[in-house]
Parts: sequence; C-alpha cells; structure tokens
Amino acid sequence: MDYLVLGNSAAACATVDGIRTQDKEGTITMVSPEPYDAYGTPLISYILKGSVDADNVFIRKPEWYENNGVVKVFGEGKGAAKIDPKGQTVTLEDGTELSYDKLCVATGSVPFTPPIEGMPEDAPNRFTFLTMDAALSVKEHIDQIAADKAAKGEPTRAVVIGGGLIGAKAAEGLCYHCDEVTVLELGPRILQAVLDDDASAILTNLLREHGITPMSGVTASKIRVADDGQTIIGCELTNGDYLDCDLLVTAVGVRPNSSLLVEAGAEEGRGIICDEYMQTSLPNIYAAGDLTSVHNVLTGADAPLALWPNANEQGRVAGMAMAGYTDLTYDGSFAVNAVGFFDEMDILTCGVINPPEDDDSYEVRIETDGEVYTKFVTKEDALQGYILMNRPQGAGIYTNVVRQGIPLSKMTDEIFTRPIEELDMPKEYRAAHMRKGYVERSAS
Amino acid sequence: MKRVYSLEDRCLNCRLCEVACKTAHSATGDTFKAYKWEEPEPSARVHVEGTNKASIAVNCRHCAEPNCVEGCIAGAMKKDPETGIVTCDKDKCVGCRTCMAMCPFGAVRVEEYALKCDLCTTGYGDGDPACVRACINQALIFVESDEAELLAVERSGE
Repeated sequence: MDYLVLGNSAAACATVDGIRTQDKEGTITMVSPEPYDAYGTPLISYILKGSVDADNVFIRKPEWYENNGVVKVFGEGKGAAKIDPKGQTVTLEDGTELSYDKLCVATGSVPFTPPIEGMPEDAPNRFTFLTMDAALSVKEHIDQIAADKAAKGEPTRAVVIGGGLIGAKAAEGLCYHCDEVTVLELGPRILQAVLDDDASAILTNLLREHGITPMSGVTASKIRVADDGQTIIGCELTNGDYLDCDLLVTAVGVRPNSSLLVEAGAEEGRGIICDEYMQTSLPNIYAAGDLTSVHNVLTGADAPLALWPNANEQGRVAGMAMAGYTDLTYDGSFAVNAVGFFDEMDILTCGVINPPEDDDSYEVRIETDGEVYTKFVTKEDALQGYILMNRPQGAGIYTNVVRQGIPLSKMTDEIFTRPIEELDMPKEYRAAHMRKGYVERSAS
Repeated sequence: MKRVYSLEDRCLNCRLCEVACKTAHSATGDTFKAYKWEEPEPSARVHVEGTNKASIAVNCRHCAEPNCVEGCIAGAMKKDPETGIVTCDKDKCVGCRTCMAMCPFGAVRVEEYALKCDLCTTGYGDGDPACVRACINQALIFVESDEAELLAVERSGE
C-alpha cells in the first residue's frame, strides 16, 4: 500500500501516526513546500517575541520520520500542484509525479486578505503570519530597518490588519521589536470570535499597557507606497485617520487551502466535506485539518474549525481509516482555545461564547473581579461554552461537561462562581471516568 | 499499563499524598526543605478535593488517547509509546494552557510550564509512586489496567 500525505503539520503527522497503528509495512510519503520538519504553527508568535528558539518548535523528534518509514518530499517546488483522482497521482510544482493508493490532503489554510486600494503586488515590507518563514521574515525585516530608524531618531511602526488570534499574537510578538504597533480590527472588538465585549476590553487594556494600540471598527482603506511603487509607507483608515507604517502584517483571516481538491472534483461547503472516516467525496482521497468542514456539535453549523486538537483528532481518524480501521470515527467537534499574552494574561475559551441575541433559550452567567473574567453560556440543562480569563483552574472539567452534555441540574450552581472540581460531577459520571479500565474490587 | 486509581470512598482528605508528591518532585527529596526552603518551591502533581466527609485525590489518568497530548501546540506533552506514561517536556512547553482546557480531570496545572503526574518515573526512585506509598488508607492504588478494555470504553464515548 502506498500512502501519500500532502502537508506536514498537526493533521498530517497525526495521519501518519494513525496509519502506523494499523499498517507497519506500507510506504508513506509526505509532501510539503516548507523545508522544515513539522513545527507547532502557533509557536511562530513566540519565535517573533524571542521567547522560543526556532530550533525548539518541532512537534516530532527528528527521527520520527525515519522511524515511521516516511519519505520526506519537502522544500521549494515540492508543493502539490495537481491531483488526478482517476490516475491516482499527484503532480508537484516542480513536475514530480507521485502515485498513491490512499491520499490524505492536510494542507491547512492560507491567508485571506480582502483587496485594499493601493496595495502593491510585491511589497517588501508586507507579511502574512501563518508560517515559520513568515515569522522569520518579519524578524529579519525589523532587524534591517531598526538600526536605520534609530540613527534617524525615528520610531519603528508596525500595523497589523486583523485583530483575531493571529493578528493579536503577531502584534504581541511585534511589540518586542517595534516602537509602535497598531492593530486594526474591522469588527466590534479584538478577538471577536473567542471573547465578548467586556473580556475584549480587559485584553485591550493589557495590550495598551504594552504599547500596542488596538482599534476596533476600523480598517485600512488605502495603502500609500514610496516612490519605488512597492514599499508601503502608510495606511489611510476608514475613519479618516492616517498611520505611518514601516511594516504591515495582514491577518484578516484564513480560508481552506482546498483548491487542488476542489479542482479534482471534491465536494466543498465552507470547507472540504468529509464522511465520518474523513474521506472526501472522491475515492481513496481523505482530508484532515483546517481545510475540512467540521460539524459543530453544539451549534449544528458546518464550517472549518482551524484548531490544533481538532487537526490531530481528524488526522488520526483519517490515517486509521486509510489503513482499513473503521471502528474509530470523527463525529464533529466544537472550539476549545487557549491563548496567553505577555505571561500576564491567560484566556481559555470553549464552545458557544456569544449566543445569538434573539435566541432566549441561552442563559449567560458572568463573574468579574479585576483582571479575572468568567463567562458561562448555558442552554436548558447543558453547558454550551465558557470564557475563563485569568482563572484557568478546572477548565478541562468544564470542557468535559460541555462535551458529554452532563446535566447541570445534577450539579451545584457554585461551579459558575468558583473553579469546578471533579467532586462536582455527578457520581455516576465521575466514577465512570475516574475508574476507566479499573476492575472494581471490594474495599475490604 | 499500571495506573494510580483513586478510591473516593476510602479517601480521608489527609493530603499525605500531596506531601509525598511534592517531596518526590523536589530538588532535595526532603519534605521539610521542599516546603520551607526550596526555590522555586516544588509542586505536588496530585491534589485532593473536598472535605473530610467526601474527598478524592485527583491525578493524571495517563489516558489511552490523551486530550492534553492531542491539544499540545508545542510537541511538549507526550505519551510514551512503550510505557503509556504521559509527561511534559518542560524545555518545549510554552505554558499556553491548552492542556488545561483539554484535560477532563483537571489534572494538569501550568505555572511556568505544565505540571502533571509522571507516575514517579523520571528519577524519583523505584517502586510504587510516592502518593500510593504515602496513602494510609489504600485510597490510592497502583494496579494494572486493561488497555483494550480502556480503549473500548473510551471509544464508546462513555
């Protein structure tokens, strides 16, 4: 059996691990346009910040590839360019043709930037923030301009378009290098998807203390360039302001990196549509990770869920199914996010955070005390989601209450005002999961 | 694999397991020094919840398919394929707390890095884990669990 995996991040590596739980013999080839072994993509902001070395971000040991018999086809020109589902081949950008019996596409997502007037084709000081190379390029660019700016007595100024997780973490990294960092978020608040207005305001205060200026409800309307026609020098804003800019990071959003699959005929909704084994609508072709459409088990929505744990879970299911194991299925998920800023603030979020205002079946319970902010969203007898800002204790137990739909009526309401504990769980649930695999014996 | 199981009906809330765990994970291996002098102060990886009437010692279950490993963005949290023991590599951990949001038992804490039970396997001597040896009422036991049964239970979604 010849397995081919397009991609080399969480979902791709989990796919290989999944295959190898079943099939120790088949050949596995991994294809990626990036030259590196698999790394923790979210760590790129830590690289920029300087708190983690670029050689300490790998998610597998170097020998993992060899130990799993993986042929690495990595580097420039090694991105996949075409999938032929009938001939069961994949053609790479450099013309190399690879054949497969089973294919998994785990190519993640790519940055999406809406067109902005005046944006040059090939600006040397415009960056996205999704890959290790992107983070290293940002760092290199800052190093190049910093001395020059210092000599002129001018501040270095960075603008980040997009105040989601990627933009906010890029801004955190940038503020260690630039004198002025501005984040432009067209939506009503920073971290729009995972926070509400009040929690976002607490984060905004922290960012300001560290020299970052978050602006919501505003974005760049026009880019100004230098005489060379390419170098960005500033942004005109939708509110009429103007910002000088030595470096621009665009982090508005991402979209599934699914074009090859779609061209090959795979069914796509908001992401690639897969069955419970992560197989696409095409025979022998599977997909896992950020490019797939995920059924949200809380809201019923179908959309990509570009999150690390989800990529790992999907990859494992895909890999095992590719190798013939069909007792494990992927049945949808919900969001669980953890993000921290400046070693001063930790934010854990899960599930439904901002329930629709016109739906009164949801209830919201908020506790706030200085920098601590907790929010629980319930619906009928079930916990649907939470924000835990600077109070991480018990987070995973809440996540489990959401996942298992444990009836809130069987627990004390105190779990909304102090960290939940194992003992708060109804005894039947607690016993089941604390004693998994342990055969009960008499207490004598 | 052998795991530590906690029997809440036998737990007295004496917290000797916490003392033993903290000592086992200290630099000196001396309880007095661990509590009074060591900097940084070592941390117990087991914690007892509750009151004298109802309590339970919670520690890592070393799950067959650990959510904390699945969620780890840094490649720090690993399950040893041979022993099944889940440990965190503190040199790789970035302290993001995804593991805390993922662990259904609340068995991971994060200070500078993630702290969790390692079954006393990373250099704290032989024999049963320190918490089990310290437990005066057999509320903590270290016994073999059937991996196949475990997987079956987990995959049935219970």
